[in-house]
Amino acid sequence: MKRTLRIGWSLLTATAMFAANPSSIKLLNVSYDPTRELYQDINAAFAKQWKTKTGVDVQVSQSHGGSGKQARAVIDGLQADIVTLALSYDIDSIAEKARALPANWQSRLPNNSTPYTSTIVFLVRKGNPKHIKDWDDIVKPGVSVITPNPKSSGGARWAYLAAWGYALKKNNNDEAKAQDFVTRLYKNVPVLDSGARGSTTTFAQRGIGDVLLSWENEAYLALNELGKDKVEVVVPAISILAEPPVAVVDKYANKHGNGEVAKAYLEFLYTEEGQEIGAKNFYRPRLEKVAAKYAGRFPKLQLFTIDELFGGWQKTQKKHFDDGGVFDKIYTPGK
Amino acid sequence: MSVRKLSIELFLILATQVVPVKAQVPDPQTPEQKIQELERKVEDLDQRVRVSDRTRELEAESAADKARSGATVGAEPTGITIRSNDQNFLLKIGLDIQLDNRTFPGESSVPFTDQILIRRARPAISGTVYKYVDFYLRPDFGQGSTVLYEAYMQLNYFSRANLRVGKFKPPVGLERLQSDDDTSFIERGLPTLLVPSRDIGYQVSGDIVKRRVSYTVGVFNGVPDNGLSDASVSDHRDYAARIFLTPFLPNTNHPLSGLGFGIGASSGNDDGIPLPSYKTFGQNTFFSFASGVVAAGHRTRLAPQGYYYNGPFGIFAEYTLAEEGLQKGTVRRSIAFRAWQVQASYLLTGDKKGFTTLTPRKSFDPKNHGWGAIELAVRTGAFSVERGFFDYGFGTVATSPRSAREWVGGVNWYLNRAVRISLDYGNTNFGGGATAATGGNRPTERALLQRFQINF
Repeated sequence: MKRTLRIGWSLLTATAMFAANPSSIKLLNVSYDPTRELYQDINAAFAKQWKTKTGVDVQVSQSHGGSGKQARAVIDGLQADIVTLALSYDIDSIAEKARALPANWQSRLPNNSTPYTSTIVFLVRKGNPKHIKDWDDIVKPGVSVITPNPKSSGGARWAYLAAWGYALKKNNNDEAKAQDFVTRLYKNVPVLDSGARGSTTTFAQRGIGDVLLSWENEAYLALNELGKDKVEVVVPAISILAEPPVAVVDKYANKHGNGEVAKAYLEFLYTEEGQEIGAKNFYRPRLEKVAAKYAGRFPKLQLFTIDELFGGWQKTQKKHFDDGGVFDKIYTPGK
Repeated sequence: MSVRKLSIELFLILATQVVPVKAQVPDPQTPEQKIQELERKVEDLDQRVRVSDRTRELEAESAADKARSGATVGAEPTGITIRSNDQNFLLKIGLDIQLDNRTFPGESSVPFTDQILIRRARPAISGTVYKYVDFYLRPDFGQGSTVLYEAYMQLNYFSRANLRVGKFKPPVGLERLQSDDDTSFIERGLPTLLVPSRDIGYQVSGDIVKRRVSYTVGVFNGVPDNGLSDASVSDHRDYAARIFLTPFLPNTNHPLSGLGFGIGASSGNDDGIPLPSYKTFGQNTFFSFASGVVAAGHRTRLAPQGYYYNGPFGIFAEYTLAEEGLQKGTVRRSIAFRAWQVQASYLLTGDKKGFTTLTPRKSFDPKNHGWGAIELAVRTGAFSVERGFFDYGFGTVATSPRSAREWVGGVNWYLNRAVRISLDYGNTNFGGGATAATGGNRPTERALLQRFQINF
C-alpha cells in the first residue's frame, strides 16, 4: 500500500512539475506595420538567450498592421502578450478601454518604455526627378505624396505631425499657417493606405507617387530591397522624434502564464544585443554605446518631440485625429 | 491587357493622329519639346491609372476586412437573426403566440366556461456570444400574467459536456421536454402533470457514443409538479438526471433510426414546496389537496419514456411515478401518484414526423399547389393516486378523484414551419369520487379545443 502511495505521489509531483515548467512557451507580439524584420531578428536572439538561461523554448508569433488598427484588435479581444506599437496613445487606449494593463504602463520600462526611436524621412525615385529636398518641396503642386491614413496608421500620425511641426517652426508657431501647410500636403496625396507597409507597397511596387513619407527604418529597408538604382532616401533638415513604445499586456500575459517571459522579452530590447539588432534594422538606439557605434548609419537632423510642440499624445489625438478633428477637416477622399 | 496599358496606347494613337493636323499651323515647340510634353502627359495618365487601380485594390481589402468583422441580418424560419460574419455572434428574435378557443359541450360540462384566450404570448431572445456561449430569454404574457419561463446561458465548448445555468426545463418528462409547438396536441397529457415545468439550477448534458446516447444531470431549487418558481423555499435541492438512447440514429436511413427510449428521474427533499393542483385536458382543476396539507419529506420521480418515428408515422409513450412526501398535522406519509399516456400520429400529406419541429415539404401556397401538412393524432392516458391519499386525509373524495382516464383525438394543419391550426376533442372520465353534492364520481369532461399558433 505504501509503495503504491509513493508511486502515486511521485507521478503527481512529476505531473505538477511538468505543468509548472512547460518545455515551450508561446508569446504573441502585436506590433505595427514596419517592424516585421526587426522582430524576426529579436525573436530569434531572445529565444536563444531564454533557452540558455532557462532551458525553455520560446516561440514568438507576430501580428502586424496599422498601429491604431492593431490597438483596436487587442481592445476587441486579440490576446496579445506584448504590444509594440507606433505610439503611446494606442497603448493608452488598450489600458483605458480594455483595462488590459495599468495606466502607468509607460513608467515600467526605461525611456518611457521606448527602447528605440525613429523619425520620418522621404523616399524618392532614383535621381529625385521632382528635386525634393525638404518639407516645402512636397507641398508644391504636381508633387504626388504617398503616406498612409493617420486614422489607422501610427507612422502616418508621426508624418502628419512632422509636417505640422516643421510648418509651426517655420512660421513662428502660427497654427493657421501650419494647418494650411498640411492641407496643401494632403491635397498632394492621391491614395491613403491603412498602414505604413501598404504605403511602401503603393510607392515601391505599384509605382505610384513621387515621394513616400516613411519611417526612417522603412525607407532604408526599401532602399536595400529595391536597390539604389531605384530609390533614394532624402533626409529633411527637421523632423519629429518618433518614440514607438512597448508594453506587456498584463491581462493576457498573466492569463497565459507568460508574465515573466514577456517582461524579459521587452527588457531584452534594452540590452546591448537588443539595441544592436535595432540599429541594424535602422531603429535609432537608446544605449549610448550602441548609438555611438552606429552613428554613421543615422543622418543628423534637428528633431523635435511631440511633448515639445504638441503637448503630448492625448491632446494631439483629440485635436487632430479623433472623428471631427483637424485631419477630417483638411482631407477629403478623392479630392 | 490592363486598363493602364490600354489607356496609354489609346493616348499614343490619339497623339499621333493629332500631330500631323497641328503641323499645318506654325508651332513654337521643337520636336524634342513635343516629345517631352507627350512623355509628361503619358506619365501623368499612367499615374492616374495606377492610382485608380490601387484605390480599387485598397477598397477591395477594406471590403474584405468589413466582411470579416461585419454582420448579416437574416429572416429565417426559426426567427429574425443578426449574425456576425465570423459566426462568433448571433442574436435571434422569435415569437410564440397561441390563440385558443375552449368549448365544453354537453350537460355535464355546464360548470366550465367556454372561452377564447391568449394561451401563450412569448417573445424569445436567444443567440450566441463568443462562439461557445448560447443564451435564451423567454417570458410569457399569456392569460393576463407575466411569467419568466426561460432565462439561461449554456457553455458549448465541450461537445460532450455542455453546461447550462439559469431557469429552464429540468430533464425528467419526455413530453415536457418537447417544445409546445412540436407536441401533437393542444394540451399536454397526464404524465406531464407530475414532472417539473421550469426550475432554476445547473445542468450538464451531452451526446456521447456517436449521438447514440444523450445524458443530462442537474441540480435545481425544486418546484411543484408541473410548476415553476423563481425562488427556493428551503435549503434543500432537487437532483435530476435523464439518459436517453437513440441506438440507430447515426444511420438516418435505418428503419429504426427514429427509435428513442430512456428514463428521467428526480429526487430531493420537498419540505415547504407549494402543493400543486392537477388540471384536465380542458385546463380545469380536477385534483387538489386538502387544507392543512404540506409537502414534507422526500420526493422521487421516475419517468420511463420512448418514441418511434418513421416517415409520416409517430408513436410516443411515457409513464411517470411520483412519490411525494406529505404531512397533515402529525401524519406524515409518502404518497404515490401515477400517470401514463400513449400517443400515435400520422401525417396524411406524407411529411416526415419527428420529436422536433415539423417542416412541411410544401408550405401553404395553393396557387402553387402547396397546402402545408395535415396530421391526425390520438392519445389515451390515465392518472391515479394511491388510496392512502384519502385514508390519511391528504385529500377528500368530495373534491378529488382517485383516478382519471382520458382520450384525445385531434387534427393539425401545419401551414408552414411557423404557423399551425389545431382542433382537438378530449374526453376525461373520473373514478373514485370528486363530487361533493352526490358523493359520486366527477362528471366526464368533454372539451373541444381549437388553436391558432405562430411560432418562430
